[in-house]
Amino acid sequence: MGELVIGIDLGTTNSVVATVQGGVPTVIPNRSGYRITPSVVAMARNGKRLVGALARRQAVTNAERTVVAVKRLMGRRWSSKALRDTVARMPYTIVQGPHEDVRIVLGEQQYSPPEISAMVLTELRLDAEAYFGAPVSKAVITCPAYFNDSQRNATKDAGRIAGLDVIRIINEPTSAALAYGFGKAQSEKQVAVFDLGGGTFDFTVLHMFKGVFEVEATGGDSLLGGEDFDSRIIDWLAEPFLKAHGVDLRTDKMALQRLRDAAEKAKCELSAVTSVEINLPFISATQKTGPLHLQATLTREQLEKLTDDLVQRCLKVCEQVLGEAKVHAGALGEVLLVGGQTRMPRIQTAVKSLFGRDPSKAVNPDEAVALGAAIQGAMLLHEEQEMLLLDVTPHSLGIAIAGGFFQKIIPKNTTVPTSAHHVFTTVKDDQPSAKITVLQGESDIATDNELLGEFMLTGLRPAARGTVDIDVIFDISADGIVSVSALDVQTGARQSITVTASSGLTEDEIKKATRANEDWMLGQKEDPKFQDRKARAEELFKEFEAIWPRLTRAAQDGLGQEPLQRAQAALSVARLQVAQKESEGLAASIDRLERMLGALKGALERGLKEEGR
Amino acid sequence: MLAARDGEEAIDLPADIQRELRELESRGDRITHYELLSVGADADGGAIRRAYLERSKRIHPDAWYRKEVGEFGPLLTKWFQRLAAAYQVLSDEETRLVYDREHKGELSASDRAAVDKRELSRAEGERRQRERRDRLLHTKGFARIGAARKLYEEALAHVQNYERSQAIECLKAARELDPNRKEIVSKLVELEREQARARAKSALASGKEREDKKLWAQAITAYHAAFQLDPKNGAAAAGAARCFLWQDDAQAASTWATRALELDPADLDSRLVLAEAFIALKMKARARTELNNILSKDPEQAEAKALLKGL
Repeated sequence: MGELVIGIDLGTTNSVVATVQGGVPTVIPNRSGYRITPSVVAMARNGKRLVGALARRQAVTNAERTVVAVKRLMGRRWSSKALRDTVARMPYTIVQGPHEDVRIVLGEQQYSPPEISAMVLTELRLDAEAYFGAPVSKAVITCPAYFNDSQRNATKDAGRIAGLDVIRIINEPTSAALAYGFGKAQSEKQVAVFDLGGGTFDFTVLHMFKGVFEVEATGGDSLLGGEDFDSRIIDWLAEPFLKAHGVDLRTDKMALQRLRDAAEKAKCELSAVTSVEINLPFISATQKTGPLHLQATLTREQLEKLTDDLVQRCLKVCEQVLGEAKVHAGALGEVLLVGGQTRMPRIQTAVKSLFGRDPSKAVNPDEAVALGAAIQGAMLLHEEQEMLLLDVTPHSLGIAIAGGFFQKIIPKNTTVPTSAHHVFTTVKDDQPSAKITVLQGESDIATDNELLGEFMLTGLRPAARGTVDIDVIFDISADGIVSVSALDVQTGARQSITVTASSGLTEDEIKKATRANEDWMLGQKEDPKFQDRKARAEELFKEFEAIWPRLTRAAQDGLGQEPLQRAQAALSVARLQVAQKESEGLAASIDRLERMLGALKGALERGLKEEGR
Repeated sequence: MLAARDGEEAIDLPADIQRELRELESRGDRITHYELLSVGADADGGAIRRAYLERSKRIHPDAWYRKEVGEFGPLLTKWFQRLAAAYQVLSDEETRLVYDREHKGELSASDRAAVDKRELSRAEGERRQRERRDRLLHTKGFARIGAARKLYEEALAHVQNYERSQAIECLKAARELDPNRKEIVSKLVELEREQARARAKSALASGKEREDKKLWAQAITAYHAAFQLDPKNGAAAAGAARCFLWQDDAQAASTWATRALELDPADLDSRLVLAEAFIALKMKARARTELNNILSKDPEQAEAKALLKGL
């Protein structure tokens, strides 16, 4: 057994944390006992930070201070078109940040997307620490395969802010394939992973052989996921309402949050039944009409019609990736479905008709990604895991050249780590500096691709034009993260490079956020009253456990089930409060539990006396 | 701390891997792709891939992530990248063929024999396959549909094994047997296009290599071939134009530069070549037009400025 390491699936809607224990990949339940933690962060009215199920539960009444789907904002530039559409649909306020990036307004403060993600990660880290009973710092975090360099950096920054040593960022579909291939190391097989999560779509083709997982090709759409399916339902509900009553529910933050919840619920139910009722009473009100209600019936067929183009977009990506991997759809050994949205029957039939086979049910679509990340962590740190992952870069990397064109330097689907050189020559006499614009994407037009950064080659040796050659080296690490260095070819001197444009947080900002997060965690621990209350509550838990067998017997002998059920409910509330460090609430629960314990003990004693008589 | 700097930190990379990396280093650029992958030059696509994965397990940096690798760290990265690049070349039929042809002199005697043998056996295999296809082509009646399907499936198997040209032959026969099957035709078109692109790509690469070595005539031949295979390949036309200009054949240079510009009007380098060709041909007015065009898009273009001044 080596060092403790966790794998985290940091999802758009939900997150999961896992580890490999005794050679078995296992999901770590959170402190409330659930295997999935919603990726939701909220600032309650009293200024308290809420994360996970608690934050999600209060989203409707506190929509403006509840952050959902922050993953869609990770590493995005304020000016990017993709961001515009996302911003319009979010109930919380998004503003421009200091580096062309985005900030989320939450109460008095502004947070960057990595800081919000770090809150979710901190929660998961605490869950893991409660599970191990020991501190955890090493983690593997997953991200969509189609994430570009700035999105990956943002994910890594989030981990650092949460106090984690992120030993690797790995791609979600690859991770799911690791979970699938774990223990089947010897067989040779070609598998495809169809990963449609809350916010992103990825499609990856891998080849497995003797414990080596080689990614052959990957592709996707970082703005296509379950949330878009929900949005279609929201529009379908809101537009007729707008026509009938002249009220656009999507502009009312609380109504929008209720619509989101209702849409998601309807979508999930339609995977099992063919028609659902959507009922939203008092959704709005006008002076003239008084309160307004929304009622509709959505059928599965209708939903499929509303979202058909989204499904087609997925299939188009699949065909393109199969072409790049030079694989025929029918020739694959297995097709894995990952991500909650793949539960939709229409997706399953579409996948079946494209590949001519039933998708595999060997992996759990919600947990496979986190399990795979845990496996990758164990592969890197533990001696006994003889597995290796060969992943690829999902985007071509290149530079802007004269005329606004894009010159590819590292083509997409190149195995990482990789590096490439490009020689720049001065065009003027005694040219002191040169600018290099590094981009990622597939378009021949530079501005159509994602800008990674602008670098200045400074302090160039004064010489006639065309005589100074600078060899610029582009490296892509196994995390898919890009770095650039430069060398003067003639003198062999290392050339200095300054980053002049980048969308990420600065080193200082990350350090500051890390400190703030540490302070918050200390604050959580420092409430001395809470420590006392927690100790008392745990005593009570033990006492209840001790008399529980006698109580169940007494319940059958005339005491009845009801007092036991009440006690059970009070106990689980108290356990949750311990986990969420709700000091005040816990005090009230302790009072209640003490009273119950007294009454139950009394009842047991009376029962004994009666028996004795 | 000082002790560590003196190289006394315990490197726990297995001794055989250390030895292997030192050996690779000592051979440097003289190692062939086949030697790097530890396969004979007669290996087929599947064997090359398996060898690549097996070798990765030994020299991929992640395989030794938990170990103290010291000075070997950068070597692992470097040699893994070399390995991946070698695999890239040998895993495609076309690029492998070009590699075999151009590096025959560097291969060991046994590998050279293997390349020759593979060439022979490929010819032999292809001959046998051809005969079989001819027999199948004589199938009569409804059985033709079945025979076409069989050939189609064989083609897919060839694709899996990186034998594109074999696959194309199978599909051609299948199309003749059953011209109405859409998937046969579409797969055939796809593969033929892919083949042309792959050939154009390797022709372009060898053009560049020769241009770097200032072998203008040879480079022109390669660029010309690349352009023939993929008439949309502006880079090939631009390369030919450059080489002709170096050879002082301004007439040909202007023709090719014009072609390159037709394909990509924003290719300022080709426009510059065109301008220089016009100057050499004493067509000053046209040269001036081209140079002004360049400067309107990139006012900083120093060479264009200088040439314009000269005019």
